[in-house]
Amino acid sequence: MDKILQILSELRPDVDFTKVDNLVEDEVIDSFDLVALVGELCDAFDVEIGVEDLVPENFNSVQSIWNLIQVIQEGR
Amino acid sequence: MIYFMVPRKIQWVILLAASCFFYLCSGVKIIFFLLFSTATTFLAALMLGRLSADQKLKMNQLSSDEKKLVNELFKKKKRLVVVAALLLNFGLLFILKYYGFVAESLQAALSMVTDSFSIPQIGILLPLGISFYIFQSTGYVIDVYRGKYEPDKNPFKFALFVWFFPQIVQGPIGRHDKLAHQLYSPHRFDADKMKYGLQLILWGYFKKLVIADRAAVVVNQIFGNYTDYSGAIIFFGVFMYSIQIYCDFSGGIDIARGIAQGSGIELAENFRRPYFATSLSDFWRRWHITLGSWMRDYLFYPISLSKPFVKLGRKARKRFPGRTGKILPTSIATFIVFFVIGLWHGGNWKYVFFGLYNGVIITFSLIYEPTYQRICDRLHINRESKSWYAFRILRTLAIVTVGRYFTRGNDLVTALLMIKRTILYFGTGSMTAATISTFGLSNSDWAVLIVSVMVMIAAGVLEERGGNVRVELEKRKPILQIAVIVIAIIVLTAFGIFREGYIASEFIYRQF
Repeated sequence: MDKILQILSELRPDVDFTKVDNLVEDEVIDSFDLVALVGELCDAFDVEIGVEDLVPENFNSVQSIWNLIQVIQEGR
Repeated sequence: MIYFMVPRKIQWVILLAASCFFYLCSGVKIIFFLLFSTATTFLAALMLGRLSADQKLKMNQLSSDEKKLVNELFKKKKRLVVVAALLLNFGLLFILKYYGFVAESLQAALSMVTDSFSIPQIGILLPLGISFYIFQSTGYVIDVYRGKYEPDKNPFKFALFVWFFPQIVQGPIGRHDKLAHQLYSPHRFDADKMKYGLQLILWGYFKKLVIADRAAVVVNQIFGNYTDYSGAIIFFGVFMYSIQIYCDFSGGIDIARGIAQGSGIELAENFRRPYFATSLSDFWRRWHITLGSWMRDYLFYPISLSKPFVKLGRKARKRFPGRTGKILPTSIATFIVFFVIGLWHGGNWKYVFFGLYNGVIITFSLIYEPTYQRICDRLHINRESKSWYAFRILRTLAIVTVGRYFTRGNDLVTALLMIKRTILYFGTGSMTAATISTFGLSNSDWAVLIVSVMVMIAAGVLEERGGNVRVELEKRKPILQIAVIVIAIIVLTAFGIFREGYIASEFIYRQF
C-alpha cells in the first residue's frame, strides 16, 4: 500500500491520496494520470494490468488499486 | 402517450416500432446499413458470450497447466470474433465515409507520376447517423469481449438499443450497461419526468432555433465572403461559429435527452459547459463527452496499454528519468487519438488538420506543463486568483475558436487563407454599423441573439457554481413554473420556428 501511495504522490504531488477516494469518478486523476499510473504499477509490482482492468472501481482509491494488484498477483 | 397506454411488458416494442418508423421516414435504402451493423455486432457478441461460457465449462475439468493453454486458445478465438466484427463495421464506415477522400488523395498523388490510371469513385450518400450507431454497437461488442457484461440474447431488444430514435441522428453515443436496461424495462407515467423532459426540449429548441440559426446567418455571410472582411471580423465570424455549433449540437442533444426523459429514460450527458473549460484537455472532457469517452476507452487505453507502448514506456522511463519519460507514450497515444477524432468528422484534409492541431496543443501542454508553472512562478501569477481563472477560460476559448477555422472553412486551403488574412489584415476594417448590416441580421435579430446568449451564459455560470436551473425553478411556485414554460414557448414561436424568412436548418452534426 505504501508503494502505491508513493507512486501516486510522485505522479500527482498536489493530491493527498490518504484523504481522497473516488479518484476516477471525481476526476481527481484523469486518463493521462491513469495510464502513467498503470505503467508505474506494472513496473513496481511486476504485474500485467490489462485494458479490461481500467474501470473506475479498480482505481478509485489506494485500497482498490491494492486489491486489483493482489487479484492479478494471485492469478485472478 | 401511446408508450404509457400499452401494457408495460411491451413498452419497449413501441419504442422499437417508433424507432423503425423514424428511420424508415428518412429513407428505405439506407436501413440496410443499420441492419448490417446491428446484425453483425449482435451475432459477434453472442458468439463471444458462447465462447466465454465454453471456456468456463472447460476450465472446471482441467489441470492448471492445461488451463493456461486453453485460456490462450479461447483468447485467440474471441479476438478473431471481435476483430471480424470491428473490421466489418469500420470497413463499412470507411467505404461510405472515407473511400472518396482516400481515392481522391491517392489519385492526386498518382497524377504526379502517371495520368493513365484512374481510381474509381463510388457515389453513395452517407446514411443518417452511421458514425453514431457504429460507434455505439462496436463499443458494445468490445465490452462483451472484455467481459464487462453478458451479451444481449434478444435481437429485437438489441436493435432497440442501437436504433433508439432520439439518439440516432447525432448521439449521444450510449453504453449498453447504462442504457439498455432502461430501454427494456417498463416505465410508469411520471409527471415530473415529463415536465423535466419538456423543459429540456424547450431549452434545446431555444439554443437551436433562437441562437444557432441566427448566428448561422452571420457565419455563412462571413465565411462565404471572407475576402471582403478584415481579420478581426473574420475572427468574429469564427467566434460566432463557435456559438452556433455549440447551440446547434448541444441543442439537438438536449432535445434528444428531453424526449427520452419524458419516457423515463436517461441518455448520457454529452456537454458540460465546454466554453467554461480552463484548458484544451478540459474542453475535450466537456465537449461531445460520449465521443471522448468512447475514444478513451476503446482507443486511448488499448493503444497506451498495448505491448509496444508498454515497452516504449519502460524504455522512455529509463532513458528520460522524470516527467518526460513518464508521459512520452501517453503523449503519442493522445496524438493518435486526436488524429482519429479529426478523421471522425469526415474524410477531408481540413479535419485531419483539426485533429492534429488539437493533438499538438494537448501534447505540448502535457510535456511543457512544468515549464508553464515555472513561468507563472517567475511572473508571480497567483494561480488561485479569479483573474487567472478568467484568463484561462478566455485563452481556451481562443484556442478552440482557432480550431473552428478548419472545421467550418470550406476546405483546408480556405481555412489556411482565412487564418492568414486574420493575422495579416487584422485591423484593416472596423466594426461599423455599415459592416454589421452586411452580416444579414436586423437590429432586432441582434438584440434577440445577444440577450439569448446572455441568458445561456447566465445559466452556465449558475451551473458552473454548482447550481442548477431546474432545481432553482423547482423551488418556485407552480404558477411561476408554468409561466416559465409558457414564456419559453412564446419566445420560441416568436423568435424561432415561425419567424419569417427562416428555415429551421438541419443539425450540423447529423452529417458526421
